Amino acid sequence: MRLLFVTFGSIMLTSIVIGNAYHQKKQFYPSVVYLTKSNPSMAVLYVQALVFVVLAGKLLRKFFFGQLRAAEMEHLIERSWYAVTETCLAFTVFRDDFSPRFVAMFTLLLFLKCFHWLAEDRVDYMERSPIISWVFHIRVVSLLSLLGALDMYFVHHAYHSTLTKGASVQLVFGFEYAILLTVVINIFVKYVLHTIDLQSENPWDNKAVYLLYTDLMMGMTKVVLYMLFVVIMIKVHTFPLFVIRPMYLTIRAFKKALNDVIMSRRAIRNMNTLYPDATPEELQASDNVCIICREEMVSSCKKLPCNHIFHISCLRSWFQRQQTCPTCRMDILRSPATVAAAAAAAAAPGPQRAPAEPAAAQQQAVPQQLPQMFMGGFPMWPPMNHLQPAGAAGAAAGPPPGQQPEVRATEAEMPAGTSAPTTTSAGGATGASPSVPPPPGGGFIPGAPSMFGFTPNMFMPFGMMPPPPAPPSFAGLTDEELRRMEGQERQNVEARIQCLRNVQTLLDAAVLQLQQYTSVVGATSTASHITISQAPTFTSSMTNTTSNGGATTGTTQSSGVHLATGANTSAVHSSHEVSGDSEVSGKLPESVGATAAAAKVTANDVASDSSYVGEASASASAPSGGGEDKNEEVRRRRLQHFEAAPAAGGETDS
Amino acid sequence: MAGSALKRLMAEYKQLTLNPPEGIIAGPIDEENFFQWEALITGPEDTCFEGGVFPAQLTFPHDYPLSPPKMKFNCEMFHPNIYPDGRVCISILHAPGDDPMGYESSAERWSPVQSVEKILLSVVSMLAEPNDESAANVDAAKVWREDRDGFNKLAEKLVRKSLGLPQ
Repeated sequence: MRLLFVTFGSIMLTSIVIGNAYHQKKQFYPSVVYLTKSNPSMAVLYVQALVFVVLAGKLLRKFFFGQLRAAEMEHLIERSWYAVTETCLAFTVFRDDFSPRFVAMFTLLLFLKCFHWLAEDRVDYMERSPIISWVFHIRVVSLLSLLGALDMYFVHHAYHSTLTKGASVQLVFGFEYAILLTVVINIFVKYVLHTIDLQSENPWDNKAVYLLYTDLMMGMTKVVLYMLFVVIMIKVHTFPLFVIRPMYLTIRAFKKALNDVIMSRRAIRNMNTLYPDATPEELQASDNVCIICREEMVSSCKKLPCNHIFHISCLRSWFQRQQTCPTCRMDILRSPATVAAAAAAAAAPGPQRAPAEPAAAQQQAVPQQLPQMFMGGFPMWPPMNHLQPAGAAGAAAGPPPGQQPEVRATEAEMPAGTSAPTTTSAGGATGASPSVPPPPGGGFIPGAPSMFGFTPNMFMPFGMMPPPPAPPSFAGLTDEELRRMEGQERQNVEARIQCLRNVQTLLDAAVLQLQQYTSVVGATSTASHITISQAPTFTSSMTNTTSNGGATTGTTQSSGVHLATGANTSAVHSSHEVSGDSEVSGKLPESVGATAAAAKVTANDVASDSSYVGEASASASAPSGGGEDKNEEVRRRRLQHFEAAPAAGGETDS
Repeated sequence: MAGSALKRLMAEYKQLTLNPPEGIIAGPIDEENFFQWEALITGPEDTCFEGGVFPAQLTFPHDYPLSPPKMKFNCEMFHPNIYPDGRVCISILHAPGDDPMGYESSAERWSPVQSVEKILLSVVSMLAEPNDESAANVDAAKVWREDRDGFNKLAEKLVRKSLGLPQ
């Protein structure tokens, strides 16, 4: 109504102005000259031109879009305001070239931009609309080709005029139209993708991927264009203030697209390689509806490590936004170990072990993985015999009371003829017998006694230790335990060492887990890696822990390996030290409190939660991360430490 | 084949029609466009909004359920978690990543597991128990916190208004 009024008024005014001019001058040319000389008449004519532009816009809109939807209208108005503001800013930069022609060019640019936006919205709408008529297709295709042709023409024109007449405001137009051209291409690709999707009956899985890549490519093109433009503008004129906003938006969008592509690729790769397909039984067992699309799951479903099942295609599109489980928000990227564990569990069901206490399993795991470490090329610290007492005693830090029976059990499994009776008997034994039991099949352990010839010397003092009481709980240090660690007496020092050793064991476990993790992750080619050969057992024990609630996945892995390696080496490895200890033990004399705290922390980690892998390994990775060299260094430091420790205790028992 | 968003919305609509939750009616305004819904929410019992029937509009994005819908009350509302213009501000409607109030953990944000029904139920419970920690309408939060009787009176007024009763 208002528009009608304005249009009508404007036409009236124009005809009055023109009529007046003609009436005064009576001839065509003089009246034109009169009109152009008179500012008020020109103002009226400009308004009239604007009205015509708007009317033409409406006509074209009717032709290409029909009725606009409310959302489209809102969008259009919002964007127009920004565009008008930016155009005004651009005027300030080019105030020297300011002329009606210049204004007309900018109006045309704005006009075309509006159609680009509308086309974009319209093509996006394809995805939500249930029915797309052929009129829609004709409209979109013709509009897109028209816009594309116009954009190309203007780019071409700008390019030529810049070449022939030198840099001018045409530069701006050239870039603006080039950007619009990328928009047209983007819309067109989207349109094609949507059309293909509409043709088929089933959802098209890869569409989202293509869309993502289109966004990425177009984003990159735009970023490059904007950069180029800014550089050229700075050289020729000044800094183009008016492109800051669109440039910022483009760069942000590009960054997001890039991030999305990378993250989703990672998540999807994880999904494809690590997670199992859901079996028909599992589909039957659960309620069988994909929570993302609310449709029945019949085939092509994946089970996430958290046991939630979804359609592959649904998961894929979700992972493009977020890399978490839609139901429980478990991070898909951050827990590859868990993922692998669950995958293994699902792959080889049928627990061979009765569900054992996870704690016990975990205790075993720590030591038993030792041989694997050897083979894996992990530099080793010579094993200690008497860790078991230590472990069982594990004042605060570590092993649960259940440990010792477990260890004994494993020893029972040892092949007959393994010599050295291990000093499981609660450390009361002198520990003189170097109990490095030969493994069932391994070729390397026979050499062990000689390898570790110095072991008895090294660890004799610890063998003398009184059997420490089993830790009352796994939760932390009791007051009494703390008290025991204070003071200069031998037992105090021993208590500290005990505590430290527990820390070591735990760190050990962490390092092993790190190893495991790397080997699982890079499991494709590493024939040299033991983990692979151990896979069957590994998986079976996996299942068992999963049945325990799946909480202690990290430790479960190690227990699996433990099973595989043959139980006998428990004595060896339990005393094995991790790189991490050098850090801790360095502080021994001064800061028992601190170490105790550390022990506590680590213990809690191991004991309670599933994030054990993450946290414990994080704590261990700092010292151990460096690989071989680092480990050499660590070993040296440890040696020093052990020489120092007995001295501090007041006795040296070699 | 139309987008998965459309399919899912149709499925949810069907579900809501077959088993409507108590006190909630919702459906597309127009069968042609499943991305605009209207919902009627009755004020929860034993609260100051009891008895009121509040119309609201839900706008779904084209990538629903990957992105959350937007919800806006079409009637006058005075509530700490509803913007003065009627937009609802609850964490379930925010995609992880954007956090207008800067306090939500991602655990309570939008995920495809949520549904229209869950959103509306959350809104009902929001009506019953405003969260004045993160107010979208600061005035309402202030009244709620400092002058509960005044808030109740205002709410009652809104209820009467929503039912078309004289004030």
